[in-house]
Amino acid sequence: MLIQLRDVSKLYEVGAQEVPALRGITMEVGENEYLAIMGPSGSGKSTLMNIIGCLDTPTSGSYVLKGREVGSLDDDELASIRSAEIGFVFQTFNLLPRMTAFQNVELPLVYSHVGRHARDGMVWKAVDAVGLRERAHHRPNELSGGQRQRVAIARALINGPSILLADEPTGNLDSATGEEIMQIFRELHAAGNTVILVTHEQYIAEHARRIVKLRDGMIESDSVA
Amino acid sequence: MELRETLRTAVWTLRAHKMRSALTMLGIVIGAGALVAVMSLISGLNRSVTAQFQSIGTDIISVSLYPWVQMGDVEDYRRRKPLTVDDARAVDELPSVGLMAPNVHTGRTVARAGHEMRGTLVTGTTPEYETIDNFTVETGRFITGTDVDRRRPAAVIGSDVAEELFAATDPIGRAISVGGRRFVVVGVLESKGKLFGESLDSLVIIPITTLEKTFGRRRSVVIDCSPAEGVAMERAVEDIRQLLRARRHVPRKEPDDFAINTQRDLLESYSRLTAVLFFAMIGIVSLALLVGGIGIMNVMLVSVAERTREIGVRMAIGARRRDVMLQFLVESVILTLLGGAVGMAGGAGIALVVKAATPLPAAVTAATVGIAIGFALVTGVLFGVYPARRAGRLNPIEALRYE
Repeated sequence: MLIQLRDVSKLYEVGAQEVPALRGITMEVGENEYLAIMGPSGSGKSTLMNIIGCLDTPTSGSYVLKGREVGSLDDDELASIRSAEIGFVFQTFNLLPRMTAFQNVELPLVYSHVGRHARDGMVWKAVDAVGLRERAHHRPNELSGGQRQRVAIARALINGPSILLADEPTGNLDSATGEEIMQIFRELHAAGNTVILVTHEQYIAEHARRIVKLRDGMIESDSVA
Repeated sequence: MELRETLRTAVWTLRAHKMRSALTMLGIVIGAGALVAVMSLISGLNRSVTAQFQSIGTDIISVSLYPWVQMGDVEDYRRRKPLTVDDARAVDELPSVGLMAPNVHTGRTVARAGHEMRGTLVTGTTPEYETIDNFTVETGRFITGTDVDRRRPAAVIGSDVAEELFAATDPIGRAISVGGRRFVVVGVLESKGKLFGESLDSLVIIPITTLEKTFGRRRSVVIDCSPAEGVAMERAVEDIRQLLRARRHVPRKEPDDFAINTQRDLLESYSRLTAVLFFAMIGIVSLALLVGGIGIMNVMLVSVAERTREIGVRMAIGARRRDVMLQFLVESVILTLLGGAVGMAGGAGIALVVKAATPLPAAVTAATVGIAIGFALVTGVLFGVYPARRAGRLNPIEALRYE
């Protein structure tokens, strides 16, 4: 099993009060699944995504990723797991504005210590995969929203991650462009990638094969389409 | 992330903000520039002064009424009882004293065939003066014992005098007028250069006996001598002190009413002076660098805040905290090093201009360059660490959410 969450809870301290964001989440995700995590704002879906993406650790419970307990790792170990296993795609793209598309895609390789000469070929391959060879040397502000999100997807894929984690990937795009991006995810899934979408839009979630709905920090439903 | 990548990223970020980077460096540029300029001037001065002091003679002991470096009430010195030729003889008889040359000085007009040098230093002395005071005869000879015994009107002239009065003519055997009396030139001295901007070559040396016969004998005698072979300088100085105190009846608790000058004392008081100057400069420069450093810290803090989101993204795609920290630290170090280099070039430029435009010598030494770079590096690290740590400690989730 790729991901095993067992009774995962997350408490946030707001002043003197403890606010629970997740309450006893137990779920599993296998290799090559296409999963959507849904829920209204405040349901805990962002917190769950952060934990799955190793940006955060649970307050209690266990998170095993590829057979490795993640909950007790320190910051550096989490960083290296993010580098090797997770590819993030954000609603707001989060490209570095002063870098070209090419350099943005290259950046994760820098942090995973891939040599300079090996990088070039890998970056071009990823850029080609999202159809952006022509625009590779442009900066984000010279690209359309859809093109920016493609750059972000190429960046997420460059290290060959186990999980592609997309947080509202179409939220800042018009519906036609959003559809194109969803098409890319579909292809990536078909090519063997594990994709986890986080969204509050039913029609986006319906692209996935399995939908997990959260409410008040708990799983409300877990259904396969 | 490898250091090379970090460097690349840093250089690239700084280039993207050229104006801001330049303004940030300004404080460091000024600090390092001032440091290099002043240190170059001081070390140039030191070198030339040390070289000039060599011309005095390294192990000379010069006893006179006046100390070389005068402090306090100068009028006091004038009231002192003159030193005599007899005092000089008594000093010469001390076992710890080797060579001895009494010398007296007066200012006279030196002239020949329409050429005239007013107020030229005329020194009356004995043959030992040549060795003790480090003179070298270029042509002819120095004054001899016989010259002294017979009170001959023989004159050894400095190179300035030879040039001024004789130009291309060979002066040996020719007559000159010294203070209106006729003298015959027997030798010309090699040039000694300058001491504190004054020529050491504008002088006429004659036998001490001749000087006293011709110009009177009331002047105080300067007793130049050197320690005897194998005797320490301090020992000879102390013997001379005790002897002269006894001869001059100085009461036990009173200070000396004469001065024993050595080249070492002179060098010491000179280095004390420049050391004070040096440390004062270091203080001022440190202040400038402190201000420059605070400027850098300020800009780096702004930069961290401005790039919070970028930091979040970098962490999400695999940057460790120390990668982020190093990135910002390297940026501030590059800024200060660059500022240090620019300042160094500017400071060296100033030093060279001063050297070219004034008699003040300036030398940019490796030590100066090293200290400037060191200061810049320390400033960069010192003031870069806090902003860098702040960047490294950001929570990636909050950083990603930062607008």
